[in-house]
Amino acid sequence: MELIRYLYSLDRTLEKIEWCLIVCLLSMMIILSFGQMVSRNLFHYALIWGDTFLRQLVLWTGFLGASLAVRQNKHISIDVFSNFLSPKLKNKVFTYTCIATAIISGFLAWAAWSFVQFEKESESILFLELPVWLFQLILPYSFLTIAFRFLLHSTRSKTKETIQNNL
Amino acid sequence: MIASAIFLLALLGVPLFAIIGLCALLSFYNADINAAAIFIELYRVASNPTLIAIPLFTFAGFILAHGKTPERLAHLSQSLLGGIPGGIPLTILLACAFFTALTGASGVTIIALGGLLYPLLIKEKYGENFSLGLITSSGSLGLLFPPSLPLILYGLVAQVSIDKLFIAGIVPGLVMIFIVASYAILRGKKIGALSTKPEFSDVPNALRKAAWEIPLPLIVLVGIYSGFFTVTEAASVTVVYVILIESLIYKDLSITKDIPVLMRDSIILVGSILIILGTAMGFTSYLIDEQIPMTLLETMRQYIDDPLTFLIALNIFLLLVGCMMDIFSAIIVVVPLIIPIAKSFDINMVHLGIIFLTNLEIGYSTPPIGINLFIAGTRFGKPVLALYKAVLPFLGLRLVGLLLITYVPALSLFLVDWISN
Repeated sequence: MELIRYLYSLDRTLEKIEWCLIVCLLSMMIILSFGQMVSRNLFHYALIWGDTFLRQLVLWTGFLGASLAVRQNKHISIDVFSNFLSPKLKNKVFTYTCIATAIISGFLAWAAWSFVQFEKESESILFLELPVWLFQLILPYSFLTIAFRFLLHSTRSKTKETIQNNL
Repeated sequence: MIASAIFLLALLGVPLFAIIGLCALLSFYNADINAAAIFIELYRVASNPTLIAIPLFTFAGFILAHGKTPERLAHLSQSLLGGIPGGIPLTILLACAFFTALTGASGVTIIALGGLLYPLLIKEKYGENFSLGLITSSGSLGLLFPPSLPLILYGLVAQVSIDKLFIAGIVPGLVMIFIVASYAILRGKKIGALSTKPEFSDVPNALRKAAWEIPLPLIVLVGIYSGFFTVTEAASVTVVYVILIESLIYKDLSITKDIPVLMRDSIILVGSILIILGTAMGFTSYLIDEQIPMTLLETMRQYIDDPLTFLIALNIFLLLVGCMMDIFSAIIVVVPLIIPIAKSFDINMVHLGIIFLTNLEIGYSTPPIGINLFIAGTRFGKPVLALYKAVLPFLGLRLVGLLLITYVPALSLFLVDWISN
């Protein structure tokens, strides 16, 4: 029990850090893209690496969001049956689907990690001497925290309504 | 065996990214391909300059949905249309379409606008069935109008010009609204007695209140088509504009309290789409390499040899997909597989996109499992069965619209051709 409590608090800490990162990165995205537009139209000048960097920001915020989405049950699923199940059965199904998802995400994290390794070997540079693989680290990170969160999730009961799943 | 086990997992509610990831892992393992290949295609999509429009428009939509924009819009259209027969339903259709176009996810429209507008319909004695059906099915009416997220996503996945898609959706979107609106007006005439009086004196007031929001679609459209800015730049202008009006002019949202929450929630939505994109693109391109669509095509060729029959089959197939899957995953998974087949029947890719979205938006409210039925059921506290009955007439009408849009390509394409000349 001690361990679970520790993992829960780790989850909450991570959540705060990720949320904070999302706010910073998205603000940066808005300011940079707006700045690029203004300077392109007014001064006919824009940062060459600006657009590449912006797209990396999209991936980073997006995959951080995907990791946070577990906590709020917002991953898109077909979820047909659960609308017709009794609450008790619903909780049981929820526990098992969480474990299954955690296992699959674990494998995906490993696949993403080997993807980063390949990129590391090819030593390609994105811009300003920054290697591509550095930006791709978000993929294994995201799948790993997703696996972790689904595992934790299987110890909770399904409290959120279907309605919130699908917005 | 394995396929049906995976299918069962999907039906039990395992998230789609994991289902698709599992399919990819298994088939790559069988084909002796390194699993790392799953993510290669993600980086091809991620090199598309328009990608950034997705988080920006989503965030802008979230801000609008959580400020008092729904109230102001409802107020404005009510004061304009309140006195005429069918006026309130028209109000709902227009407000919902406008709102869904900006927010992209139609479930939000039902929650945000539905609650405001449903009591008005009941007050005017349109009856529970008609009112529920109207609101549930209008939730997805705006998906064809720019800058809706599904349009952008289709453009990214199918590698079709998003500017063209934005224009192509306008006329078909209006056709859909027109069809449903005619039914609503007929219904309004039948009821006759109007409890709300025309409130034209209220129009200037309502206009003044919404004065900052009305120009938004114009900024996006005029900006893009005058060539002043690209879709991406339009997205960043929209975000900055929306933040300024909602937090500084209307003061509906606080920059320090509400905006960070909305940032997180909108990025969670973007993330749940992006992760499906991440796991699915590698898998679908593997399927294409394996000639799966072409094998399908050859089987189809035995029964179908003209584009018209193909489109009928496509419509039926997509309606089924639409009530099983949400629109974003359906686009990511199905579009890459359908494109090679559609190309062999000489279907225009822009037109195909409009057919796709129209189909999928109808699927949203198709019994037994269209997701908007459940959302509306929860929102209005009605059993899902009552909603099945309520949406039926609307479903019929929208199918008529779908047929028109599918078999008259000119509806989607003439504006595109006219503008590009």
